[in-house]
Amino acid sequence: MKKNIALPRRTFMKAAAGFAGANLFGGLSFKAFAQASGLAPADHCFVFAYFNGGWDVLLSLDPRDPATFTAERISETRILPGYNLLSNDASFPTNVVRPAGSNIDFGPAIGRMANHFDLMSVVRGLNMATVAHEVGFRYFLTGKEPNGSAARGSTTATEIVGQMKPNVPVPNIAYNIETYNDRYPGYANALRVSSSNDLLLTLAPSPTALDSEIERELVDMHGRRISCEADLYDSRGLVTQYRESQSQMQTVLDAQLDRYFRFEDSATETPAMRAEKAALRQLYTLRPEGPNDPRSSAAARAALVATALKRGVSQCVSMNITGGLDTHFGTQLTHAQNQRAGWNALADLVTDLRASAHPSGGNFMDHTTVLVFSEFSRTPLINASGGRDHHITNSCMLLGKGIKHNTVFGKSGDVGLSAGLIDHATGLPNPGGEQILPDHVIATVMAAAGIDYSITRVEPLTGLLA
Amino acid sequence: MRSLAIATLALSFSLGCSKGSTAAVDQPGSLAPVELPTDHPVLTPLPDPEMNGGHAGRAPRRISVPQLKQSILTVTGKQWTQIDNLASSLGQADFAVTVSDATEPNLVFAKFLDDGAREVCLSVARDDLNRAQDARVLWPEVPGTGRDFTVLDDATIEKNLGTLSVRFWGSPLDSTELTDWTATFKKLAARAKTINKPEQAWGSICVAMMTDPRFITY
Repeated sequence: MKKNIALPRRTFMKAAAGFAGANLFGGLSFKAFAQASGLAPADHCFVFAYFNGGWDVLLSLDPRDPATFTAERISETRILPGYNLLSNDASFPTNVVRPAGSNIDFGPAIGRMANHFDLMSVVRGLNMATVAHEVGFRYFLTGKEPNGSAARGSTTATEIVGQMKPNVPVPNIAYNIETYNDRYPGYANALRVSSSNDLLLTLAPSPTALDSEIERELVDMHGRRISCEADLYDSRGLVTQYRESQSQMQTVLDAQLDRYFRFEDSATETPAMRAEKAALRQLYTLRPEGPNDPRSSAAARAALVATALKRGVSQCVSMNITGGLDTHFGTQLTHAQNQRAGWNALADLVTDLRASAHPSGGNFMDHTTVLVFSEFSRTPLINASGGRDHHITNSCMLLGKGIKHNTVFGKSGDVGLSAGLIDHATGLPNPGGEQILPDHVIATVMAAAGIDYSITRVEPLTGLLA
Repeated sequence: MRSLAIATLALSFSLGCSKGSTAAVDQPGSLAPVELPTDHPVLTPLPDPEMNGGHAGRAPRRISVPQLKQSILTVTGKQWTQIDNLASSLGQADFAVTVSDATEPNLVFAKFLDDGAREVCLSVARDDLNRAQDARVLWPEVPGTGRDFTVLDDATIEKNLGTLSVRFWGSPLDSTELTDWTATFKKLAARAKTINKPEQAWGSICVAMMTDPRFITY
C-alpha cells in the first residue's frame, strides 16, 4: 500500500521530516519544566569529579607504608611511596593516614577528604587497559573502552539524565570536561561550559537588553515559526534540537538562575541571599585575594556543584575539579599539592551537602552519588627526572547514595602496584575472580541509580552496592 | 492500517507545507513526473527515503564557529566582538583538550548566539539610522531617512523582509511566512516608536533572522 502513495518526493520528505522531528525530540517537552511552579532538587543527584592528568594513587587512594616499602627494597617491591619527598611542606603527613573509625587507608595528599571516610568506598586494583590520557578519561566518562581514542556511547551523566528525565532546568552540566550523547533527545545534553564565567553568561540575561514587549515578540517568534525550509533542515532533528535549546534558554533566563552562582557579595541582593552566600564563601574559603578565587579555583567549582544540586538547577554535574597532575618531571610536592587542592575542594562539597537538608528527607549526601576518578595512575617508581610516568593500575572513589560506606573494594599488588583478579561480590583478591575495569565501576553507578546498566555489557560490582 | 495512518499523516504535512498552486496539483494518484529538458545533465537520483531511514542525502549540519563568524560579518558588515572569547564554548576545537569541532545546537550555543545577534544587530541598526538608503544594511528597501517605521506600507515592509531573508538565509520568505513576519514587524515598529528606540524595530528583525535555524544550518 505504501508504494501506491502518490506524493512528490520533496513533499513527502518535508512531511517525513516534520513527523520524524516531532517524534525524535518529543520525549520530554521542556515546556513541562516551564510549567512547573518552582525549582526542586532532584531526588537522586550525581557528581562526577575528574582529576585531570593522571593521579598518583600512592598519595591518596592506594597508599603504601613507607616503613615497609623502602628505597632499599625497590628491586623487590617496585614501589616507592616517596612521602619523605613532601617534607618541604610541613602540612603533608609523612605516613599513611587512617582517621579513627576508618577502614580505609589514605595517602598524605588526601587532605580533608579523609574525614568523609564514613560515606565512601575506595576501589583499588582497577585495570584501565590504557596509559593514554584521552583514552583513559573517555573510558571512565562512558564506561566503554574507546575505539582508538574516540569515545563510544554517551557519557554516564547523559545516560542517567536520559533515563531518569529529571524535572530540573539544566539537568546535566559538564564543566570543562567532555560530554557525549549518542542516543538520547536534546534534554539529556549537557550544558557544556569551559569556565564559571561561561556558565554565568549562559544563565544571565543578555548584556544587550531589548524592550520587554519586543523581547516577548521575539520569544513568540521562536515558538511559532515553522516553515517548509526549516522543516527540510530538520530531517534529522537538528532544527528541533535547536528549538528545544532556545526554549530551554528562555526557561533558564526566566528563572534568573545566574544570581545563585555569583558567589561575590552584592548589595543589590536580599539580606537572606547575602547571608547565604557569606556562609558559602566561608565554607569554601572563597576570597578574591585568595586562597580560592570565587570564579576559577577548585573550591569555586565545588561550590558551583553544590549550588547547582541544592538549588534544583541540575541533577548531574561533571567537573574537571583539578589539574596539573601529569608530572613526569619535577618534584613530588607539586603533584601532591595539586591533588590535595582537588580533594579539599571535594571535601568542602561533601561537608556542604551533608549539612544541607534535602526536601525529601535526610541530607543531600543521602540523595547524591559521587564518582571521583582520573584517567590512570602514575608509576610506583620515580623516574630519572624526579617525576612519575603513566601507570595502568588505577583507583577511584565512590560516595553517597546506593554505595557501601567505609569500604575498600579490590586490591593492587604489593609488587609493582599491579592489577589483580578480584571477586566482584566481596571485593577480595581471588584467583578465580575477574579484573575490575571502568565498565564495572560505571555499571555500579548506574545500578546504584536504579537504572538500566545493560549498555555497559557487564555486571556491577555487587559487593559495592548498598 | 498503520501504513494508512502514516500515509494520511504524511499527506496532511505535505499539504500544509506546499506552496501556492502545487497544493492543488499534488493529488494522490495523479502526479505526473517532472520532465527534465533534453539537454539537462544526467542526475543521480537521491536514495529512496524508505530505504534510508526516512532520509535522503546527508544530514543537515550546524555551522562551525569560523563559519558563524564569517556569516555574521557577511550579512551585517560587523563582527560579534565576543565570538573569539566564546569560541570554545560555542564548540570550536582548541586542539589541546578537544581536537574536533562540536556543532551541536545546544543551550550554550543558542544563548551565546542570541547575545551575539543582539550586540551586532542593534549596533548595525543604530549605524543605519544615520546612513543613506543605499548604504543601509537592515532596511535598504525603505526610502527616506525617517525613524518612524509605523508609517511604512505593507509592500515596502514585505520587500525589505524579502531582501533580508535572502541575505540572511539565501532564500526569500514564502507568502504565508511573509504575512506573519510583516504583522510582527508592525508590532515591533509600533513599540519601537513608543519607547523612542527606532533601532529596535529592524534590529529585532535582524536578531530573529540571525537566531533562526536557517541561519545556522546548511
